[in-house]
Amino acid sequence: MTAIRLIALLAGLAAPLAAQNDGGRGGDRLAGHVPPATLPALDSIVEDAARAGLPTEPLIQKALEGGAKGVAPDRLVAAVGASAAQLRSASALLRSAGESRPNDPAEVTAVAVALSRGVSPQQVARLGAALPGEPTGPALHAVADLVGHGFAEDSSVDLVIAGAQLGLRGLRFLDVAAAAVQELQRGSSHAAALAHVRAVLPHVPAPPRPAPAAVSRARRVQPSQRP
Amino acid sequence: MTHIDPQVHRVLDGELPAAALTAAQREQLEALQRAARTLAAVPPSSVAHRVMAEVRRTPVAPASLGTRLLQWLGERHAVTITFRPAWGLALAAALAAIAIIPSRGPGPALGEQEGIVQFVGRFPGARSVDVVGSFTDWQPGAVVLRDEDHDGIWRGTIVLPVGQHEYMFVVDGERWVTDPLAGRYVDDGFGRMNALLFVRPLTP
Repeated sequence: MTAIRLIALLAGLAAPLAAQNDGGRGGDRLAGHVPPATLPALDSIVEDAARAGLPTEPLIQKALEGGAKGVAPDRLVAAVGASAAQLRSASALLRSAGESRPNDPAEVTAVAVALSRGVSPQQVARLGAALPGEPTGPALHAVADLVGHGFAEDSSVDLVIAGAQLGLRGLRFLDVAAAAVQELQRGSSHAAALAHVRAVLPHVPAPPRPAPAAVSRARRVQPSQRP
Repeated sequence: MTHIDPQVHRVLDGELPAAALTAAQREQLEALQRAARTLAAVPPSSVAHRVMAEVRRTPVAPASLGTRLLQWLGERHAVTITFRPAWGLALAAALAAIAIIPSRGPGPALGEQEGIVQFVGRFPGARSVDVVGSFTDWQPGAVVLRDEDHDGIWRGTIVLPVGQHEYMFVVDGERWVTDPLAGRYVDDGFGRMNALLFVRPLTP
């Protein structure tokens, strides 16, 4: 990899991480997008989260989302507060699981979203132990996908860990879940679907790449179009 | 008109030896060969000769367009050009602009941490469909779908950073709709479900 590519990659990784935590200065971005009466409470929640070392970007996003959806002020503040509590739980869970980066913004956010999708804290800890020092977000979402289709949580985590032991990483975990769901849709039972996917691991199909025509049509979300 | 046996025809064309013919076919072959010799011996004063001589005296028909074009290109022509310096400068500026401005390639150049996402939604009768999500700070207007053939299917393809994103469709600027095709959802905390999207890098 050339030095320029390396610098670009590091810059690309650093930018979203930096965006995860703006030191509690959420008010600047929220003004004009949320009911003015909610600003003091939202600022307070964001500042508390920043002081605790939690990522603040998810909180700002939740507030912007509530403002855009026209949610009533009290409900908006409550939802942002609930998001902060979820981030706090995720961070605590990572810390208790011995995770080396319990305040990593991306990891805390991923775990918080996985918890909100119904993955239990016990299974989060199991996956964290199976993927030490690695991002667990995609693996957690793979488990959430499987559980969402009626697979037992224990068996789902077993399958994902089996994939990890055979070298699968990152978003490929989502392909494990997709393969099991596909077997289910072909008429297999849950047990048969899991057995089939386990037998073909790690060679689960990846999603098709976008066609060149689709790539050529793609538009960038222009910064000037963003608020 | 006398029908010529196909086998005889092939012998006349040199495709078969005469020995391959039956006796009757050989008779027909000989008759034809005699006729050919007779025709070859027609004296110069025959009707055919006179007609051909007349044809040769007739002026040659105009050449084809391609031939005339080639002739025109090969000949010398006197050309008069009136020149205004201002037009010359304008032409030079236009050529420079074409050389400097990058032409539209096969699509946007993607970074290593970017991927392509295709959004599709069925909204018959809708006047507008936006995709609004964490990648637009939840503000509409940045990602607008199109229904170019007016079949009610709205589509759009955009470049997004690799990773996890949440979104919803906004129909006609006011109706928030969960993408029914997303397959992966998360509670939005306001009583609805956001679609959850994972963007993969285009370059593996």
